[in-house]
Amino acid sequence: MQQPPPHAPWQPNRREFLYVGLLGTIGATMSDLFRAQAHAATPADAATLDTVAKAVAANPRAKSVINIYLPGGMSHQESFDPKINSPIEYRGPLEAIKTKVDGVYFSENLKETAQIADKITVVRSMTHGEAAHERGTHSMFTGYRPSPAIQYPSMGSIVSHELGPRNDLPPYILIPNQSTPYAGTGYLGSAYGAFAVGSDPATDGYSVRDLTLPGGIDPARFAERREMRSVVDAHFSALEKSDALDGMDSFYQRAYAMISSDKARAAFDIKAEPKKVRDDYGRNAAGQRMLLARRLVEAGVRFVSLTYGSWDHHDNIKRANGTQMPNFDKAYATLIRDLDERGLLDSTLVIVNTEFGRTPKINGTAGRDHWPKVFSIALAGGGMKRGYVHGSSDATGGEPDADPLSVEDYAATIFNQVGIDPGKAIMTPGGRPQFIVKDGHIVKELLA
Amino acid sequence: MKAFLAVVAHHFARSRVRLCGAGFTPAICSLLLPLSLLLCLSALNAHAAKPALTEVRVYPADINLRTSGDRQSVIVQATYADGLTRDVTAESSFALANKKLANLAVTATGSTLTPLVDGTTELRVKFSGKSLVVPVKVEAAKTAEPISFIRDVMPVFTKAGCNTGGCHGSSRGKDGFRLSLFGYDPDGDYYRLTRESITRRINLALPEESLVLEKATNRVPHTGGKLFTPESEHYRTILAWLQAGAPKDKANVPQVVRLEVHPKQSVLAGEGTTQQLNARAFYSDGSDRDVTTLTVFMTNNDVAVKVSETGKLTALARGEAFITARFETQATGVQALSIPKDLNFTWPASVAEANYIDTHVNAKLRKLRLAPSAVCDDATFLRRATLDITGTLPTPEAVRAFLADSSPQKRETAVDALLSRREFVDVWVMKWAELLQIRSADQQEQMSTKSALQYFDWLEDQITQNVPVDVMVKNLVTASGPTFENPAANFYKVERDTLKLAENAAQALMGVRIQCAQCHNHPFDRWTMNDYYGFAAFFSQVGRKPGEDPRETIITNSASGGVKHPVGGKDVAPKFLGGPAPELAKGADRRAALADWLTAPDNPFFARNLANLVWSHFLGRGIVDPVDDVRVSNPALNPELLDALAARLVSSRYDFKQLVRDICTSRTYQLSSAPNDSNAGDDRNFSHAAVRRIRAEVLLDAITAVTGAAEKLKGLPDGARAVEIADGRTSTYFLTTFGRATRETPCSCEVKMEPNLSQALHLLNGDTVNAKVLNGGLVKKLQKAGRTRAEIIDELYVRTLSRPPTEKETTALAAFFGESKKEDVVLNDLFWSLLNAKEFVFNH
Repeated sequence: MQQPPPHAPWQPNRREFLYVGLLGTIGATMSDLFRAQAHAATPADAATLDTVAKAVAANPRAKSVINIYLPGGMSHQESFDPKINSPIEYRGPLEAIKTKVDGVYFSENLKETAQIADKITVVRSMTHGEAAHERGTHSMFTGYRPSPAIQYPSMGSIVSHELGPRNDLPPYILIPNQSTPYAGTGYLGSAYGAFAVGSDPATDGYSVRDLTLPGGIDPARFAERREMRSVVDAHFSALEKSDALDGMDSFYQRAYAMISSDKARAAFDIKAEPKKVRDDYGRNAAGQRMLLARRLVEAGVRFVSLTYGSWDHHDNIKRANGTQMPNFDKAYATLIRDLDERGLLDSTLVIVNTEFGRTPKINGTAGRDHWPKVFSIALAGGGMKRGYVHGSSDATGGEPDADPLSVEDYAATIFNQVGIDPGKAIMTPGGRPQFIVKDGHIVKELLA
Repeated sequence: MKAFLAVVAHHFARSRVRLCGAGFTPAICSLLLPLSLLLCLSALNAHAAKPALTEVRVYPADINLRTSGDRQSVIVQATYADGLTRDVTAESSFALANKKLANLAVTATGSTLTPLVDGTTELRVKFSGKSLVVPVKVEAAKTAEPISFIRDVMPVFTKAGCNTGGCHGSSRGKDGFRLSLFGYDPDGDYYRLTRESITRRINLALPEESLVLEKATNRVPHTGGKLFTPESEHYRTILAWLQAGAPKDKANVPQVVRLEVHPKQSVLAGEGTTQQLNARAFYSDGSDRDVTTLTVFMTNNDVAVKVSETGKLTALARGEAFITARFETQATGVQALSIPKDLNFTWPASVAEANYIDTHVNAKLRKLRLAPSAVCDDATFLRRATLDITGTLPTPEAVRAFLADSSPQKRETAVDALLSRREFVDVWVMKWAELLQIRSADQQEQMSTKSALQYFDWLEDQITQNVPVDVMVKNLVTASGPTFENPAANFYKVERDTLKLAENAAQALMGVRIQCAQCHNHPFDRWTMNDYYGFAAFFSQVGRKPGEDPRETIITNSASGGVKHPVGGKDVAPKFLGGPAPELAKGADRRAALADWLTAPDNPFFARNLANLVWSHFLGRGIVDPVDDVRVSNPALNPELLDALAARLVSSRYDFKQLVRDICTSRTYQLSSAPNDSNAGDDRNFSHAAVRRIRAEVLLDAITAVTGAAEKLKGLPDGARAVEIADGRTSTYFLTTFGRATRETPCSCEVKMEPNLSQALHLLNGDTVNAKVLNGGLVKKLQKAGRTRAEIIDELYVRTLSRPPTEKETTALAAFFGESKKEDVVLNDLFWSLLNAKEFVFNH
């Protein structure tokens, strides 16, 4: 049988979840009786279980992940892969600028990012075939092509399932909200879902949903309520035993810990940042969300996913890019510098991610349409190379030219960096084993 | 008397040995021997009080050997009066009436016959005084059957695991070589093996050096390791095919039409006890074949019963397992129970049976040696039944009246009263709205809010009128015309994709998930791609035209169009799932044929699915669970119970109320959730009640009701409950967090019941509980009405938990009321605590 992943006791994985309660209450022998849908072993499954034992790097390079998702499909030409030498209808309306890395150019709205190009890896050969928003989003959040038969969990939920929480904080947090179902739990239980902060840190009224005590309830009264609840709960707890009840208890314990931990609550408190730092990141959605993400990973959150902007630029890409990119540029460059100065960049993997790129040719409305054959993403920290460009697209940005990076290889590499064996199989409720990543290879060229 | 005999026999047997050892002549010893053996046998029976042998069965029941390479293994299973079974193949004697016709040998899979000479004879099997006769037919004993790629070689790939998803069956293959997943594309597999990379994978000049064999035996490095040895049957099969020149099968090679696996049930006592299975495939040309060594066996509970490569079951820990057997496109299953040896178990005398439900549940429990729990107390029953039947909590008045009622029939009376309430209908309208995915789309032109509301109103009307569900479903499936005039036609507006429509219909109306078979034959079930596209073809001629109003669609029978099979690219003719292909006139509405088949009383899925849905709602777990995932590898845990419930639905013309009444008045429904010594480990056989979290809508409505603070839901009139939400897109943070169905799919998994952090935080700090306690002002009102502190505490308990506080609780709570504290503040804190208590959030 596979080794259980290193969980905190109150964050068991789904399968253990069924047992833990029983083990604790009526003894180990009972747990195996009539258990629901046990293991449907296949030869393939048996093969992976062997590899699981050796898996899970003891000391992962990336302790945390910040996934910056740019919904809509950011054009690769107007960001990390300008087509300098192509005819104007391919090159588009923006100029290219030099970066800190010799011979590497970015699009003109990435001025600040150009200055930290020596700290990051840019992938110019990301590729999949999904040209619809939801299918592209699914691919980039889950590492799988969409399937008619099964809902795959997001990478954040896999991290939550495999690694569990740290420092009284949820393992997987979304800023500001869950924007797509593919950031969800898929076939894993909702216990592995993200905690959404529920509010934009760039707004004045920012407050994290349900984290602070309601008006009129001070910590003393909350403590009183908590005590009273345990009195009210005692009768039932003594009578009834079930995994569902244990599950609720464990999440109440986590909620109590989070509410009463100054450190945990402070992680969400963006106002605790010095004014200058908040200004440096930019007083806008991009800046404040990235700053909050940095606070959260610094405090121990394992996987933070944030969204910024709307990048579905079918029309007038020059104007659209010009309104969104500068804020992203400033925030992202500041985030990378900030993490680096704090010594956190090596242990924090920062991903700039989108569902697909955009058509090589400018269309009739001065924009670009969906293009999944090749596009760009950026990876920084967490063991990735610094100042490196991985792969390339062809002269018109239409196809990968060198080292195409598939969704599976991308996901396998990310999981590997956080210490999760991408080849491990997880049993779905229907008894069909699913690999965390199917047919993915760790791309060594990306790693420092 | 028996015991006495046993003692005598033992004594005698022992003394015989001593006598012989003391120098008696062998002649005397041999004289004594038969008598002592006889006595010993009866002694053994008597000593262990061994239950009588009730039945001996031989599998298969007939033997057909055709062509020289054929063989058939035979197994013998004995059943005893206590329900236990034993594999007695090794203890049985086998004899052929005409020994010339076949050879008889003991192999790993039983006693095995191989052909010698053509003719017919019989195999005589004897065990413990019982004898059975198996007819044997030998044909073409001297003729070798030519080796076939599909019949012989492909099953080896499947058996050895070569074509699984983790290996070469992956859509991109593995290490440069691809096979179709579980062999759904034989022509493609033949091509890839013999032609795709000529001279690489097979070597017809030196067959033993073919890469396919060298890899499988790991003579050259193979990521998948060593799958079989050169001595194995699998190796010999592939080698024989290569030696024959790797021939391609002629067209019309016989297809497997049925797979039989025996015995269907094994009840094994004691860890390590084994039972060999026997698998036989039947082909379209009328022939059969022993495929025990080529069948893939999988257990769904390897802690209870494991199964070997060659189909031998071994009992492990106590429990129940289903063994799925798969050969080519066919899959079937058998059940195996593992019971501790010499378990001291007596069925409690106090268990009464209220109706047929208890009979079937208890029959299964007896087999498992599990005793049902005691019946729950009155307060628990009323809370449970009120929540389940009406989706509301009992009022304090109802609780007090019920507890004070001394009538022995009060539970039945209460169930009848609850069934007559409007809220009962609301619950089932909600459940059907989930199955039918009633929800407006993000793009209003696809499904407008108006259309969603019309659809919901139509549904509500059908359920309120108690229209029999078969009629309602027939109206849905055959619905045509403008959706504004016939809102049932929205069935075809909610989903426009032919394949998705078919998948959703199968899942919602039959409880079957066929999605897997869109891309490959289902690995854990019997559905093939042919089944999938044949079923989808029923939905391939639905026409959609815009109506006058842009929000309206006119649904028609377009009488043309089809679905293409991805392998071969040909149109597939409509074929019922697991049933025949109907004769359809050109242009006839395919949906009408489907609706007739689906709602026929003998349809194997329809009534069972509905019965299971109802059962699952009340017992917290389906007889098939999840309810919409009936599979060979996920069968009904109590098929007799499911059949009886389905029959009840059919015979009552789908009157839900009658079925619900049967369920709620059964002893099984009324069991306490507290387990006893025997059933503590069971959560699947309804031996005690399940503790279930209350679903999102009902929980929000309950908080609203007990606090008296209204919840304003978007698009609904004041005072409307969350259960009544018409449009699946309407939600609140509370409902979403507690796992309300989005209705984006018909999946039962849409309703989420798992706890999570956001739920805990929201109940503790969020604006639902805290604000409603304050806004409802219940404590203040009660204080104003002059109620004492004790009375108010009592009222809060009865309102939320449907029971008065215990003495222990009253005492413990008194400590919170200090002199310096305001009484209403403490009482509100108590109210808050009760709403945060597990006993409130769970139905038990």
